Amino acid sequence: MTMDATLRDLKKINEKYQMFHTMTDNTDPCDAKFLFSAKDNLTSKDMETCAGSRILEGYHPIFDAASIEKLREVGGKLIGKTNMDEFGFGTFSANSGFEIPRNPYDTSRACGGSSGGSACAASVIEDHISLGVSTGGSICCPASFCGVYGIAPTYGRVSRFGLIDYGNSLDKIGVLSQKAGDLREYMKIIAGKDDRDPTSMVQPDFDTGYKKMKSVAIPKEGTEGLSKEVESVFKEAVEKLKSMGVEVDYVDMPSLRYAMPAYYILATSEASTNLARYVGMRYGHQEGDHTLKFDDYFTEVRTKYFGDEAKRRILLGTFTRMAGFGGRHYAKAREVRQVVINDYKRVLKDHDAVLAPTMPFTAPKFDDISKMSALDSYKADYLTVPANLAGTPHLSVPCGYDSDGMPVGMQFVADHWNESVLFSIAEDWEKQFDLKRPEVSI
Amino acid sequence: MKIGLECHVQLPTKSKMFCSCPTEECEFPNTYVCPTCLGMPGSRPVLNRQVLVYGIMIAKMLNCEINDTTWFARKTYFYPDMSKSVQITQYDNPIGERGVYYLDGKKPIRITRIHIEEDPGKTKRTADLTSLVDYNRSGIPLAEIVTEPDIATPAEARAFLTQMIGDIKHLLNIPDELEWVVKCDCNISVGTERVEIKNVNGMKHAEKALHAEMIRQIAMIKAKKKILRETRRYDPERDVTISVRVKEFEDQYGYIDEPDLGIYHIGELADSIKISESPQNKILRLSNQYKIDQKMAKQLVNTSMDLADLFEEVAKEFDTAAAIKWVGGPISANWRAMEERGEVDLSKLKGFIREFADGKITDTQCTIEIKSYMTGVDASAAQEESAGLESLINEFLDSNPKIVADYQKNDKAANQVIGYVMRQTGGKYSSAEVVETAKRLIEARF
Repeated sequence: MTMDATLRDLKKINEKYQMFHTMTDNTDPCDAKFLFSAKDNLTSKDMETCAGSRILEGYHPIFDAASIEKLREVGGKLIGKTNMDEFGFGTFSANSGFEIPRNPYDTSRACGGSSGGSACAASVIEDHISLGVSTGGSICCPASFCGVYGIAPTYGRVSRFGLIDYGNSLDKIGVLSQKAGDLREYMKIIAGKDDRDPTSMVQPDFDTGYKKMKSVAIPKEGTEGLSKEVESVFKEAVEKLKSMGVEVDYVDMPSLRYAMPAYYILATSEASTNLARYVGMRYGHQEGDHTLKFDDYFTEVRTKYFGDEAKRRILLGTFTRMAGFGGRHYAKAREVRQVVINDYKRVLKDHDAVLAPTMPFTAPKFDDISKMSALDSYKADYLTVPANLAGTPHLSVPCGYDSDGMPVGMQFVADHWNESVLFSIAEDWEKQFDLKRPEVSI
Repeated sequence: MKIGLECHVQLPTKSKMFCSCPTEECEFPNTYVCPTCLGMPGSRPVLNRQVLVYGIMIAKMLNCEINDTTWFARKTYFYPDMSKSVQITQYDNPIGERGVYYLDGKKPIRITRIHIEEDPGKTKRTADLTSLVDYNRSGIPLAEIVTEPDIATPAEARAFLTQMIGDIKHLLNIPDELEWVVKCDCNISVGTERVEIKNVNGMKHAEKALHAEMIRQIAMIKAKKKILRETRRYDPERDVTISVRVKEFEDQYGYIDEPDLGIYHIGELADSIKISESPQNKILRLSNQYKIDQKMAKQLVNTSMDLADLFEEVAKEFDTAAAIKWVGGPISANWRAMEERGEVDLSKLKGFIREFADGKITDTQCTIEIKSYMTGVDASAAQEESAGLESLINEFLDSNPKIVADYQKNDKAANQVIGYVMRQTGGKYSSAEVVETAKRLIEARF
């Protein structure tokens, strides 16, 4: 098929699933070895980059994000930028200034978030990999809801140069695909030191060899609050793991309960400073009333173009940074982060990974999402947040389907820099797992 | 009255603090800019390590305790010239803390802290009430030096700044002639409430701003009015301070650690950095070690650090008296002329002193040789010139013998002679030479 025809088909698919906010107009195949897409918070020279926010409409970056640059260098063609929650603020990709991606298995349901468009693209398009970004679970959650494999590597493994920041101490760039083997193959390309991102410079070499996963620990805290169907699918999957020769232990990880509040304090503190730069000057929307005093003008633009969730997180983050509260919230949250890291280290001394379902339920319907409070949706992340807070690598694999045919995922968390054991279990799992692809019609 | 200063000095790096844009002045606005210093989404800061080195050097000069680990913080505020609406600065664990710096070698001024941070851009107001922003300066590295409120008067604040800035310029090898803007936030309380005058440019304005604010506060107290804790600015044209905003607390900036930059372990780096003696310390040491007048030490050091070094060499090779007589005398008087000629062979000068010490040449001959070598004028012409100058001065002293007696009480008396000679000769001799000769001839009459 010609590139022209491929892109035409994809545009049609996109009308149905809305995974792309922007698609390339460049029909030149450029000898592309593979096609890929990237979450719209990764900058791209040839496509507008908005990070799901209307305040960035019209922003054409003059540089590629390091991860996009590296995939292009090895012959990848970037076909589109995927829809997401505004700046990554959400669990269902429904907090977007633009289109909301539809679940490939049931378009009345969400893709998960915030890398919902990326998971959707990876699920719907054959032979496709998509770059996602995880701050508190934004790769594994949509991977689970869309029935694909997704990895969020160790914090600092992939250069964040060109990433539009949410929470800089938490943001990680990773890969989503239908094929487990793609995760290892493409992570190999995008991982590595980059002197444009100092936090990437401390990483040890990327171990790409096979490393069998021998044992997992399932924390009690990771099996609480699950829907009945997720619980039973997960139980079956654990039995399957045992039959594959993986030893399974049950442990207590009491710190996991405190990860959620600590995460939201750190993430919103950082986010509120990152979002301060969007004031309607220099890029994005700039057409407000220029006769206003500068702070009134800034307020006008920010009020008009930030979505509700962005405003909520700015307020939360500004509050936690306020005089007198900084010590009580921000500093404490950092201590909690260390406690969670220590808890992982303790368990991972004797086990290759910590295992739990990725999400406590399968992809919800948009109708139900609209009834959820902000707090309800924050709480839905309780299984993905701890590993994100700790900066430990985690990978979600599709592990079964509920009675509606919606995918269920389970998430392995390994020790810092030990991604290779995650790739290996995903590949071993894939060999015996019956992946049911969604029916995609044009 | 208590005065404390926060002064910002630019660090002389070639590229900016977090990107590789040049730090030079640029005629055209928004030219030396890139995604990082413009705060474009997706850009990231990468630290220019030379900034740490300069920061450590200043911290050492101010006798600060240097933290083993240091890191950066985000200070969030909205202003058009701050491209990220976030300034990368330091909050906890700045480079140096708890220092002390001696004014004139005597009065200790405690240094609270020294930290490094990036400069914002510049806002330019145009005639039609709109503003334009130029980000050429955005990301230029600065050191901020914060003192305790140990300064007693506006004049002392100026003296402190002048001395410290001179020392820093020498320390960081910033050429004397380079115009080097120093901005200060001046805190002053005459009574109990502190007022901050923001963004004062230069030392002269610092003194004037503090003076204007002092007068205002005294008037307020006399009128039994309450002084508000507030931020003001100085208007140099009207010589008054104007209220900008009532001061809120510092933490309104909502500092958090800068997550894009790590923790820097600077202990070893700090140990490896040796700083040269500051001009101020050299003045104090010379005056103590060689028992010379502080004025003379200051004159040597302020003329040139090399001249001060030569003084020490001569004092060691010969004796202090020879150093005072020759280096403090004709060598100092002709130093500028020698520098202008670019001829600097100090061993030649020591050679003349050696000849004199060995009795091979007379006092006058030695002076002539030195002058001739340093100015490039041939010896006989130099001799003639000097003889002319000397006889002019001697004639004047013969007819005004009281000057010699006055001079012993106050050396300002020499000014009469200097003024007379300058008028008579109309700039034929350099003022340094006239001063040196006059003092020498007066002292010869004691």
